[in-house]
Amino acid sequence: MLKVKNLRTSYGKNEILKGLDFEVSKEDIVAVIGESGTGKTTLALAIMGLLRYQQDNVKISGEIVFNGIDLSRLKEDELKKIRWSKISIVFQNVDNILNPVIPVFKQIKEILNSNDGTSIINDMLEKMDFPVSRAYAYPYQLSMGEKQKVMLAMAYILNPEFVILDEPTSALDFESKNNLIKIIKELSSQKAVLLATHDLDTAQNISNKTVVLYGGNIIESGSTKDVFTNPRHPYTRGLIRSYPSETRTKDLQGIKGNPGFTDNGCCFWPRCTQAIQICKEEKPLLTESNGRKIACHRYGIIPLVSVSRIKKTYENRSILKSISFDVYEGETLTILGRSGSGKTTLAKIIMGLIKPDDGEICLENMKVTCWDSAFYKKVQMIFQDTRAALSHRLNILESVTEPLLIQKCKSNEEMVDAAKQVLSEVGLPGSDDFLYSYPHHLSGGELQRVVIARALILSPRVLIADEPTSALDPSIQAKVLKLLNQIQEQRGLGMLFITHDLGVARKVSDRVMEINNGILKEKILR
Amino acid sequence: MHINTAQKLRKDKNAQAGIIIIILLLIFAIAVPIFTKAPDVFSEKILARPDCENLLGTNDIGQDIFSRLIYGLRTSLLVSVSTGLISTAISVVIGVLAGFKGGLLDIIFMRFIDAFLVLPVILVLIFVSVFIKPGIINLIILISLFQWQGTARIIRGQTLALKEKTHIYAAATFGSKKSYLLVRHIIPDLGHIIVVSFIYNARAAVFMEAGMAFIGVSNPSTISLGKIMHDAFKFYYLPAWVWWLLPAGLLLSMLLVSLTFLGNLMEKIIDPRLQNA
Repeated sequence: MLKVKNLRTSYGKNEILKGLDFEVSKEDIVAVIGESGTGKTTLALAIMGLLRYQQDNVKISGEIVFNGIDLSRLKEDELKKIRWSKISIVFQNVDNILNPVIPVFKQIKEILNSNDGTSIINDMLEKMDFPVSRAYAYPYQLSMGEKQKVMLAMAYILNPEFVILDEPTSALDFESKNNLIKIIKELSSQKAVLLATHDLDTAQNISNKTVVLYGGNIIESGSTKDVFTNPRHPYTRGLIRSYPSETRTKDLQGIKGNPGFTDNGCCFWPRCTQAIQICKEEKPLLTESNGRKIACHRYGIIPLVSVSRIKKTYENRSILKSISFDVYEGETLTILGRSGSGKTTLAKIIMGLIKPDDGEICLENMKVTCWDSAFYKKVQMIFQDTRAALSHRLNILESVTEPLLIQKCKSNEEMVDAAKQVLSEVGLPGSDDFLYSYPHHLSGGELQRVVIARALILSPRVLIADEPTSALDPSIQAKVLKLLNQIQEQRGLGMLFITHDLGVARKVSDRVMEINNGILKEKILR
Repeated sequence: MHINTAQKLRKDKNAQAGIIIIILLLIFAIAVPIFTKAPDVFSEKILARPDCENLLGTNDIGQDIFSRLIYGLRTSLLVSVSTGLISTAISVVIGVLAGFKGGLLDIIFMRFIDAFLVLPVILVLIFVSVFIKPGIINLIILISLFQWQGTARIIRGQTLALKEKTHIYAAATFGSKKSYLLVRHIIPDLGHIIVVSFIYNARAAVFMEAGMAFIGVSNPSTISLGKIMHDAFKFYYLPAWVWWLLPAGLLLSMLLVSLTFLGNLMEKIIDPRLQNA
């Protein structure tokens, strides 16, 4: 029904849409999601042919083919015949769109362009669950939900084939939003809909396909269910993580940095935690695999550590029976299990401290055959007993810089600077008094932070945290968990979080796996 | 928060006493002989009481007891420090290797130690001394060879426990080599045991050397505190024991006490947890 090919728009030198390609079929509801300023409204206005009214210096190139007609080449008169009758739109700022001195009934009637449309309008308003008695009210006399319903009535009154909904639920309360979502679903059967929104709940509820927009580029698209349950682009995942959905248990995480789109390389690389050199140099193409399109040089979120068929037996007791899982970049995978279930054994096997009876471990898709300094530069562990994990003879500076000393990658001055930086990252002072103090001078919470700082000083890609908060009181535990969350957001660490505490698992995990009798199973937390 | 050795020393009266005694004994052993008579010179004064010329009188063959005491102290110091160092070094190498490497090496070392431990050391030393000239160097080597086994066993046990400690695992997960773990963590963590072993070995060496000299198993030309006590003991029925036997015994005790105090101080410096102890 609608095909957008290499659509580019710009206001003067400022290019907003940078070559969009997608299509909306009949009965498709396509959600276009993304942060503010990514080009959602521009796309909606471009399809409606309304961009020229925004600014004088608008340039549009590419094709917007609707039922075989390229809308971008139509003149205004021709467009007017299509607008509202074939393609309609629900604008974002209802207060600015509705005329304040005309009753809403009349405004709807204007679109109907008929002398006798009262019954049609009343029918539509009834469908909207809008009290007909208030149809002659002025916009300022209506609530935001009612105004939004009037806008929907205007959009659907001519029974168009294609409807564009631009943030239809953004200003509504929870109940009004759910009500409106229900109405939109009913009205949109047999129609093609483009839903531009940053409200992910609405997108997930209404649409069957989702297009993720960033910096005027499509970076991921696919079926809504797939995109939301298994986002493959780091941006999509970041967006979903930032949204406080009803079922979300993990603390909210944003996307690092601020939206600032670059024309060099991938538009997302300055904020991406897994960017490599090519990401900075070449723009990735939108490629399709398994029904999903993704624009990423790394083919989406990469698995950092892959554990396959790990087995371990102690004195004829099988602790781990063919354990397999992946830890992806920037995600927290929690291994949940009671004491003695083999969680720490598993962590030590990954770290090369215990040899498994069978199985293999891959780091960034390469099989680990030798646990050497290169491995440990990428994978670090926070041990369960923090106090025991620090040598009582070494002061904080010596303890924190020990990994750098072993890896021999920095001079003495650089090591001190690096130590101060990581200590500040975990919220500890970098003063001489603190640096030259000893573990027995510090509290449990401070020690935990020191251990985290030490694990971070090599800038690892994976952090294995073995019960990092089990010995802490609830207040300190909350701080440490927030800290880990924050560090993950900034650095994109893949974290294997080991705990026996279901509450903690809920708050930190993207995924939870439970280990029981040596068998690991995915656990859904609700 | 720094560990300030000088500050620690100022607070620790025992350590101050130990250091002062050690320094005095060292000065006594090194500098004083410049001003004293040669210990081997005979005079006509036999078993003379202390006077201005002979501060601690003379022995049965007219030699100055004070001079002989100082030269004897030199021998004791030399034997104790040398034997302490050698035997502790051997015990650290063997104990740490056996504990850290484990396996066959551990079994071989431990059986070897067991074999040595069942031997009556003093008897073996006497028998061996019969066949070799029991000079100072030979004595140091001999005592060292029979001294390290007990401490090696203790160090091996501690190494076994230490290598399972979390901070050693943590250091391993930074990509360290085994040599780094040994040099940077395990051996320094054994510091207080090594110091105690050194003191134990040094003290035992002083006793062993003195004991052997006391029962007469020594080079007659070597002057040592044991030899002085051996000679003095023959005349215990005379009042000469007060200025002949007693000063030698006191000097020996002072040496051991000062070594112990010094060892305690070093232990506190090595282990910051004992700072306020």
